[in-house]
Amino acid sequence: MAQKNLPPILVVDDNRDNADIIREYLETRGYPITVAANGEEALALFETVKPAIVLLDVMMPGRDGWEVCRIMKQHPELGRTVRVIMVTALNELDDKREALQMGADDYVEKPFDLATLAATVQRNLAMQRTAKAS
Amino acid sequence: MITSSVLLTDSQDESIALAIERLDGWRLERRTSAELPAAIGTVAGTRAVYVCTNDPTLLRATVERAHGAGLPVVVECEDEAERRRAVELRVEEWLLRGAKPDEIAARLHAALARGTPTAAGMSDRVERVEYERMLHDSLTGLPTLPVMIERSRARFKERGEIVVLYFNFVRYSKIEEIYGWEKLDAVLETTAAAVREFLDDTAPNPSRLMVSFTNDDDFIFFHVPATGVAAATEGEITEMVSRLQRHVQTRIEAHHGEEIAALFDIYVGRAHVYYNPKIRLERLIYRGIREAANAARSIEQRERARKVADLRSSLRERGVYIDYHPIVYADTEEIFGYEALARGVLRSLRSPEVMFEVAEEADLIWELSRLCRGRALEGLESHLRPGESLFINVDPHDFSDPLFGENEVANPERVVLEITERTAIKDYPKFRERLLVLRKMGYRFAVDDAGSGYAGLGSIANLEPDFIKLDISLINAIDTNFIKQNLVETMVKFANDHGAMVIAEGVERAEEFMAVRNLGVHLVQGFFLHRPSAAAVPRQMQQVAKTA
Repeated sequence: MAQKNLPPILVVDDNRDNADIIREYLETRGYPITVAANGEEALALFETVKPAIVLLDVMMPGRDGWEVCRIMKQHPELGRTVRVIMVTALNELDDKREALQMGADDYVEKPFDLATLAATVQRNLAMQRTAKAS
Repeated sequence: MITSSVLLTDSQDESIALAIERLDGWRLERRTSAELPAAIGTVAGTRAVYVCTNDPTLLRATVERAHGAGLPVVVECEDEAERRRAVELRVEEWLLRGAKPDEIAARLHAALARGTPTAAGMSDRVERVEYERMLHDSLTGLPTLPVMIERSRARFKERGEIVVLYFNFVRYSKIEEIYGWEKLDAVLETTAAAVREFLDDTAPNPSRLMVSFTNDDDFIFFHVPATGVAAATEGEITEMVSRLQRHVQTRIEAHHGEEIAALFDIYVGRAHVYYNPKIRLERLIYRGIREAANAARSIEQRERARKVADLRSSLRERGVYIDYHPIVYADTEEIFGYEALARGVLRSLRSPEVMFEVAEEADLIWELSRLCRGRALEGLESHLRPGESLFINVDPHDFSDPLFGENEVANPERVVLEITERTAIKDYPKFRERLLVLRKMGYRFAVDDAGSGYAGLGSIANLEPDFIKLDISLINAIDTNFIKQNLVETMVKFANDHGAMVIAEGVERAEEFMAVRNLGVHLVQGFFLHRPSAAAVPRQMQQVAKTA
């Protein structure tokens, strides 16, 4: 439940179990979570939810995570502030370059443990705060 | 309240009634579990559904009906199996039986906030976003061509003529190549803002100017003269263009530095289009654009020819000077060495990128490289203190130059040859052979632009470099991007494993400096610490600049 006024997070994953685990874990930590099951849904929800952070799975049918990331980052207002964290097995150098090309800010390597995920979310929120302050 | 929101439920529990009381303007509608699916859509004001049945078929029917009607669903679950089922059905919220009214109210709230959009509503929204993206360039905020044509249609018909100006911004792609797309985006934004400012300033003019961005790096202006006013003359347009050019240049220099401002040129082509009722208006305009674009291109070609001539005279007069950019230790900030940056004495050849591009076209690469190398090496004596290293840029082409390395250098061990990862090395065995010879002579090597994506770590390892210079795009805003930090960390580890040192160039801000230092980068180069400093330009060369 969102009580502490934490910023909203959009979780995008076509695997319901994954999405659900992430959602439960972050919700108990007080983040308002919205889940999207695919790229289209994520983009449709983007303007309504105005997430501070998007946790974006790369491998999805239809629009994949890369495309969704690029489109979100091009959004005239939200694109500047939103932080996109790719959830993927990004161990190859090329994948990381691809992620940079698409404008991603961070990534969580799959399979991940929830503590790492929470730490990643936190460091990106901290970065967002300093960016806003300056 | 007459227009109260309705929560439809099959729960007979008291706590849900209490939860509803906590929400403003809500009332409860109760049905049996069996009746619930059919009731959805029949009770006016229904905004959400709360289900507690443990019959999977009824649950499914209820959720499907509710989602079909665009209503969020909260499911009360008895156990883990029911929870899984609810999650499978993608309900907005679930909670365990026996929850307190407070929690029920909060879950209900969350479900509403999440408010599952219907499939149709969703694809509408996606389409709308995409449609708007098509009409206006997201970066510059300028309208795209189809929008412009629509806007100018009536005026064009009425006035009977239109002037199309095509602005070709040359070498913007170079910025992307060197500094990465983020920088190019920023530069394009500055450009568009400068163009808009310029248009606002020229507003008193009775004629009308409109601008569009072609999504690449060109801008198109439509000039529709006001009724009773003659279309702008060639002279007026030339004057306007040069004012705009100066304005954009000044803005870019102020925001992004002279290094970037010196990189690009603007060429403008012009076409006068007259209205012809027999021909479709769009076609007339597109023809005009093409004509203007061609005119811009031929001006560009003329300019290039002039630059080649400039280069030839520069080579004759040895009209190249060197800026020395300090490279310092990350921890002590003491000077380790200098990168030699060759610049043309002539203003048209100030930027090394431009100079070498012209040389490549005119097949003068070796000559220019020799001159630049020679000049740079002079600095070993005149500019550097003993023990400091001199980094000079070499093109892989240079390795096939028979004269390369023949420049007698007293102590080659003070010279580091920077090989860019960008230029593909074609004849690899031969290249390696040359490399070994030079290495034996004492020269050291740096791989430039590492991590830019042209070569993997494997091919970097093959060159056995003494230094790895990270690509500028990796350093730009590294403090806020964790992927860049991770990549740099990988490079540092790689370098440490191979006995090389990592150099971060393009460090412009304190935060970037701190970030690379914390990541273990050994050496740093950038405006944050030092600007490149010019060695004195010899008098004989100043004369070249004057006479040209």
